[in-house]
Parts: sequence; structure tokens; C-alpha cells
Amino acid sequence: MALSSLGQKKIGDIPLQSLVLILAVVVVIPWIMPNNYWIRIAGNAGLWIMLSLGLNVVAGFAGLLDLGYVAFYAIGGYTYALLCSGHWNIHLPFWLVVPICALAASACGWGLGFTSLRVSGDYLAIVTLGFAEIVRLLLLNLDRPINITGGPNGLPDLDFAHIFGFTFRTVTQYYYLVMFFALLVILASYRLKRSRLGRGWEALREDELAADAMGVNTTYMKLLAFGIGASIAGGAGAVFASWQGGVFPNNFGFSQLVTVYCMLILGGVGNIWGVILAAIILSILPEALREYGAFRMIGYGLLLVVLMALRPQGILGEISLRPKRKKKEVEEPETLKAAEELFYGDGSHDFVKPLKKGKLNKDRVLLELKDLTMIFGGLHAVDRLSLKVYEGEILSIIGPNGAGKTTVFNLITGIYPPTSGHIIFDGKEITGLKPHKVVEKGVARTFQTLRLFTNMTVLENAMVAQHCRTKSGLFSILFRLPGFLKEEEEIERVAKENLGLFGARLTGFRYKQKAINLSYANRRRLEIARALATDSRLILLDEPSAGMNPKETEEITRFIRNLRDKYGYTFIIIEHKLNVVRTISDRVIALDYGKKIAEGSYDEVADNEYVVQAYLGRKKGRV
Amino acid sequence: MGKIRDWFSYLSHFVYAEKLESMDQILQQIPQQLINGVTVGGVYALIAIGYTMVYGILFMLNFAHGEVYMIGGFTGWWVLHLLTNSSGGLLLNGFIVIILMILFAMALTGALGMGIERFAYRPLRNAPRMNLLLSALGVTIVLRNLVLNLQGAKIRFFHTSALIPKSIQVFHIGGTVISFMRLLVIGVSIGLMAILTWFVKETKMGKAMRATAQDTEAATFMGIDVNRIILLTFLIGSALGGAAGALVGLLFTQVDYYVGYVAGLKGFTAAVLGGIGSIPGAMVGGFILGIVESLATTLISSTYKDVVSFIILILVLLIRPWGILGEKAPEKV
Repeated sequence: MALSSLGQKKIGDIPLQSLVLILAVVVVIPWIMPNNYWIRIAGNAGLWIMLSLGLNVVAGFAGLLDLGYVAFYAIGGYTYALLCSGHWNIHLPFWLVVPICALAASACGWGLGFTSLRVSGDYLAIVTLGFAEIVRLLLLNLDRPINITGGPNGLPDLDFAHIFGFTFRTVTQYYYLVMFFALLVILASYRLKRSRLGRGWEALREDELAADAMGVNTTYMKLLAFGIGASIAGGAGAVFASWQGGVFPNNFGFSQLVTVYCMLILGGVGNIWGVILAAIILSILPEALREYGAFRMIGYGLLLVVLMALRPQGILGEISLRPKRKKKEVEEPETLKAAEELFYGDGSHDFVKPLKKGKLNKDRVLLELKDLTMIFGGLHAVDRLSLKVYEGEILSIIGPNGAGKTTVFNLITGIYPPTSGHIIFDGKEITGLKPHKVVEKGVARTFQTLRLFTNMTVLENAMVAQHCRTKSGLFSILFRLPGFLKEEEEIERVAKENLGLFGARLTGFRYKQKAINLSYANRRRLEIARALATDSRLILLDEPSAGMNPKETEEITRFIRNLRDKYGYTFIIIEHKLNVVRTISDRVIALDYGKKIAEGSYDEVADNEYVVQAYLGRKKGRV
Repeated sequence: MGKIRDWFSYLSHFVYAEKLESMDQILQQIPQQLINGVTVGGVYALIAIGYTMVYGILFMLNFAHGEVYMIGGFTGWWVLHLLTNSSGGLLLNGFIVIILMILFAMALTGALGMGIERFAYRPLRNAPRMNLLLSALGVTIVLRNLVLNLQGAKIRFFHTSALIPKSIQVFHIGGTVISFMRLLVIGVSIGLMAILTWFVKETKMGKAMRATAQDTEAATFMGIDVNRIILLTFLIGSALGGAAGALVGLLFTQVDYYVGYVAGLKGFTAAVLGGIGSIPGAMVGGFILGIVESLATTLISSTYKDVVSFIILILVLLIRPWGILGEKAPEKV
């Protein structure tokens, strides 16, 4: 059933020919191996593939450094041992136990994820390592007062896998069983990677704050990554336990963790095919180097150090299994002309599809701030700020450095909860909402210091923005239900539409270009396109023209105006270039020391005594 | 109070069935456990300083620090072994042997620390943090297995009985027993910490170190050779870790290739508890962790004392990740 929709090639499922090839290899291996010993190694490779792909979800996709990963493997293994052995005389059927083990491990994964939500990076690594150590100590010591884990002796004599009257006994039979699960995991991780969840994780890995501000519920995504990674490890643990016929504490130790991490690093973190290849290499290599056994771990360690220094992206790096067709990175004459055109936002291009233009009511208050205050330590970064933004308006905020302009943005978008005061958007209170919730309500932003997902492509950057507008869950992604496929098409359409607003700057071959390879001005444009792709009505632009030359500045100024005129967006803009402020704004407010010191048209504000003072200092002789 | 007592004894029965002590017996043990706690705490503090100093400057978790501690322990054992003749007698005065053990352990681990920095971390100075941590993990594996290959998996015992005269091996104060080795560990660890505090506060190098920790780039512009300061940080941190290894060898008279793992985690816990990046914090954290752990041994069970420490670690990271003496820094957007 899972394979039934393979025909849908458009939204990158595993290509059919690759799948057939892999299946053929998997089937043939037991026939060409010289003896059972090597079939067993091949089966082990299958287990390692499962394990490393599970870790790939947590550490690779989501970038969470989970050093407690083997604990879930252990939980899966021991759960199987308890439910399928004479230890407590429980003998559940195999097809039931494997999901139970996966679920048990997954539950622990959610639990660990939940407790460690507040820490990240090195701290997360150490918390998870502590968790693994606790689990290991429990396995070793829970033979008293009641014998649960068998202590150092482990639990031997487990049941064979038994499915619908067929019992798996021989090495070859178990090899096929393991490979079946390994293939499921490969398929699942491939599908996950190319879904809204996969993109959400990648965004989280690239820049957690920006991901949150673009509508990705980072908390949930982290928990999900922990849960899925753990369930794969738990399932692998169950299969392993069944095959080995017993579980022992040293099957789930530090060296296993290191091995899995080596596979991940060697294969290239996040790269599915690379990880699979590395898992295979590192399963066979130790056997080939058996006579140097004692130095194997030293080799692993050196491998980690050297690889990190010389080739952190892994052996395969970004190269996928199928060689990419070389795309010309040179702009063709016609596209070059389009890119040279100044005012790409005027809507005259064919590729710009008109967005929905809502009815504008210029008297309606879209955003209202009431006595908004933010205090850092003793510093009033924003001090009782009240203002109204009307629908379809372009409001500029000016003020000297440190006046609290960006803090206002951070408060509106939920990055900081305000010390006091209210933020009301479209008649509803949004004070204290998390950034991704604020985006959901229809407020998106750009960042002064660009925060793109630099290692994702231009198109993916824009697609992430649709995260909070889409619903597809695990089930529909894994089984590629029609709802998911339709949604994926819709996401891509919206993303392309918004990128298309910038003409050839961000379309065509640029879709596949990584954000990190864009020019500075194009990165600013991509930030704006990404914010627009969230389908928000109010867009906050933090210095949209910073770092642009005069021509590009004029272009972006006209573009923002066009967006408002044609598509009905409302803008709040922080800008230092006063000529931009003059041409663009309906209204200007000036901030100094977190207080509003002036409000009105550009000319009114520019002539205001306090504003002049704030920028140029006080005149002599005045108090 | 009575209820709590019942509950505790119930708990201790459950967790550790063989241990059937009344609450009064447990209470009597508390002064003894406090002394044990301070001793172990001093060791934890020494290890924690290594973590905290490196973290303060490079914002990285020097995962390999536990192995440095382990190698310190082995160096101590090796010096003692070389200075012991075949009949178990010492070639030199016992006190001189102790001093040599600690000094050699510090010298070797200090050099090792600098080597690790130079070859495993410096090439990655501008790489993502995950790479650094994984490189550190690699160093850990190399060191641990190197020792495993050179020494084997068996436990090495320190024959400390000949080191000090019988008359001063144990002191009795009331019902509490204090061994000379405990006093030695407490004295040496506090002494080393005092020297470190003076060094960091008063000397030119110490000031350069603090400047580098605050802002590496600005320190460079002010003419500080940052690479040298970082090497110095690793030298000091690792040497203190090595000293801790040798001291624990003297105290518990054994070492094996695997001790670095748990000791490293404990040291890190202490560093986090006190506020990572803060040297006084690491000291305070070490002593607190040592005492809590010793009390846990009495009140709950020695089997689960490590579990207690890890739970403390996780709780601190969750509730107050900047620790007791650390400062909370808001994320800059």
C-alpha cells in the first residue's frame, strides 16, 4: 500500500528505478555471499542503516545533537525481551511487539525531548548523554529488588520472530526480515525529508529563531524529531533483540553510539544515501580489519576528528546518488534582460500571477499597540509605546541607533514577550503569543541581520513559509495520501508566485540555488519574498534597503509601494535611508530611548524639534 | 518529621533491600558523609574548572576533558609504580612521591590538553558547534582506546599504604573518621584553586585570559595573542583535571581506562551547577555536587548516586541553565 502511489514522480518520492535496484541487491545478497557469516554481516548492515537513519532524523534533519540515542535502541530491545520471552512468561506475537517497542521508545523520546526543550547545542548533548547514562545504570541495576532487566547478565532466550505461522530461524530468514524493516525506514525518511515536516526541520536546524518567525512550531518539530528518531531506534532494538535471541547491557553502550555517529558524519549529516552508504561501509570495514580489532575504535575516533577538520559535509556531502544534470549557472541573454529591468514589481510580467487582493478599508485599524513596554534589566528599550496602523498603510519607524525600533518588531512578532502593554492585531489580542502563532494570525517580518535558511535552496526558503498554512501530518506524508500531494503542489505554487514577484531575480535557475550563494541584495529580496509567502497581511520590514546601491534601493522602494497598491499588504518599515522613508511612507513615527517622540507625515516628523535633537543633539544653551 | 522518616526508610528499603538501617543510624553518618562530600567535591571542582575555563573562552564543551582526567590518574599510578621496588617498598620519601605523582600528572595532562586544542579544535575554530563537539567526541574515543590498548582493561591499583607513616594515616574526631588522604585531597584541591584564583585575578596573563573570554576579537585588537591564551587555558584546565585524576587515585587507590566518562560528566555537572564560564562557580558547584552525592549515598543508595547526579544535572539545565553564579544572557536578535 505504501508503494502504491509511487507513480507520483512529481513530488520527489524515491525514483522507481532506484527502488527496484535496491530491492534486487537486497534479494540477491544472500545468494552471492560465501557463507552465513557474511549474510549475518549484511543483516547487521541493515540494522545499522535503520539506526543511522533514525538518528539522521534527529541529528541530521533537525540538527538536534542527541547523544542519548542508543538509550532508545536499548528501550526497544528490552521491551521486546520483556514481552517475548520466558522472563515473565509473556509471549506476544512479533507483529504486535515491534510497534509496541517503537511506541515505548517513542514515548521516552517525547519525554526526553519535552524535558530538554529549553536547552540546545552542547547543553542538549549533555542532557541527552545524562539520560543515556541513567538508562544504562538502570539496565545494569534493575535486577534488584525485583528482577526486571536481568542486571549485568541481561535477558537471554528470547522468542524467535513469528509472523502468521511462519517462524524466522535461519540467518537468511532474519536477514530478509531486517532488510524489510530497513527498506521501510529508508522509504519513510526519504518521504519525510521531502515534505513540509522535512523542510520545517531543516529550517529549525539552519536558524531556530527564523524558523519560528516564519511559522514553524519549533517546539513541536523538535519533539516530533525526537519521537520519530526514538521510534525507529526502538523498532531496530526489537528486531535486533529478536535476532540475537537476547539483550545485554553492553549491546547498547557508548561504542554503539559512536558507531552510529560515525556513520552519520561519514555519510554527510542529513544525506540519506550518504548515511546508508556509510552504514554499509562501517559494517563491513571492521570485519575486514578484524585482525587490528583493538585499534578499531581508535580508527573511528581519528576518523571523526579528521573528517570534522577536512570534510565536515561527509564523504558524499551534498552529492545525491543520481548525478545531477549539470545546470548552466550562467544567465541567458533574455533572463539577464529581465533582471536588468528596474521595476519588477509592477505586475507586467507574465510569470507574476496576481495574488488575492482583499478589500481595503483605510479606516480600519489593523494593528494597535497600547502602552507597550519592554524592560531589559533596568533599561527601558520600549517605553509605553502606543500606535495604530491602518489597513493598507505604509508606516515607517525612524530613530537613532538603540532607539528601540527592532525591539518593537521583536515584541510584535512575539520573539520577546512584552513587560507590559497590549498588542492587538485585527481586533484580536496577540500579546505574548509565540512567533509562529503570530505568523499564523497574519503578521510576518524580515530581519535586519539577514536570517535566511542559508543551506536551503531559494525555493525551499519560500516553501518553509507555508508551514503554518498547511496541515499534512505524519500519516499522510508517509503514505503520500492525495491530500498531502495536493498540498505540496499548492505550497510550491504559492512559493513560486511570491518569488515570481521579483522577476528573474529569484526565479528560474535560482529556485535550486542555495540562499548562501545569493548576492546580498538578492538575500534581502528573498527575505521579503519569504515573509510574503506566509500569506500574511501585515509585513514588518527591518531595514529592507540596507546594503543596497541607490538603483537597487529605488527598485525595492517602488516594489514595496506596488505590493501595497496592487495586493493590499500593510507595511511597517524600519529604515535609516531618509529618502526611502520620504518616498514610501504614508506616516512616520520617530522613536528615541523607546519613546515615541513624533508622529505624522514625513515633513512634519522631519521638522520636529525633538527628532532633530535626537539625531543631531541638543543646541547649546538649552535645557 | 516522623512521617518523613518513615517515608525515607521505606524508600531506602525499596531501592536497596539489603540496607535495613534506622533513621538514627543514617543521621549519625551525616558528618562523615559531609567530609566525604567535601573531598569528592574538591575533585569535582578541579575537573569542573577545566570545563568552565574552556567554555568561557571558546563556548565549547571540551568533551575530552574526562579522558584527560583519566590519563592524569594513570600518570600518577605510573609514577608510583616506577618508584616502588619489587618488595613493595618506596625508593623515595612517601611525601616526595606524592608530590611527584601530582606534578607529573599535571605536566603530562597539561601538555596533552594543549595538543588536543592545537590539533583537534583549532582547525575547527570557525566551524559549526556540532563539528567541534563531534571532534571532541573523536578525541575522547582515541584517548580512551589508546589507554585501553596500552594498559588493558584491568583495574590498576595504587599501593598507597607505604606512602605515609601509619601514625598519621587516620584521624578520629568524635565518631567521625578522617583519613590523611582525604585531608590531602581537600588541601591540594583548595590550594590549587587559590593559586588559580590569584593567577586569573592578579597576573598579566590572567587579565589577558579574562579579556579573551569577554571578547576574543577585541582582545586580538588589543595585542593579545589569542591563540597563546587559548593554549594556556587548555594547559591550566587540563593540568587541574590531571591533578584531580592523581588525587582520586591516591584516595580510592584505583584507576581504569573507563573512569574518565563518569568523572567527566560529574565535572561538567559541577560546572553547569555553578554557572558555566565562571571559575568560582565551578568551585562552588563542585563542592555542592560532592556533598549532595555523598548524602544521597546515605539516604538513598550508593548504587543510584550517579543517577542522582545526572538528575541534578538535567534539573539544573532545565530550571536554571545559567547556574548558581552564572549570568543569564538574553539571546540577541
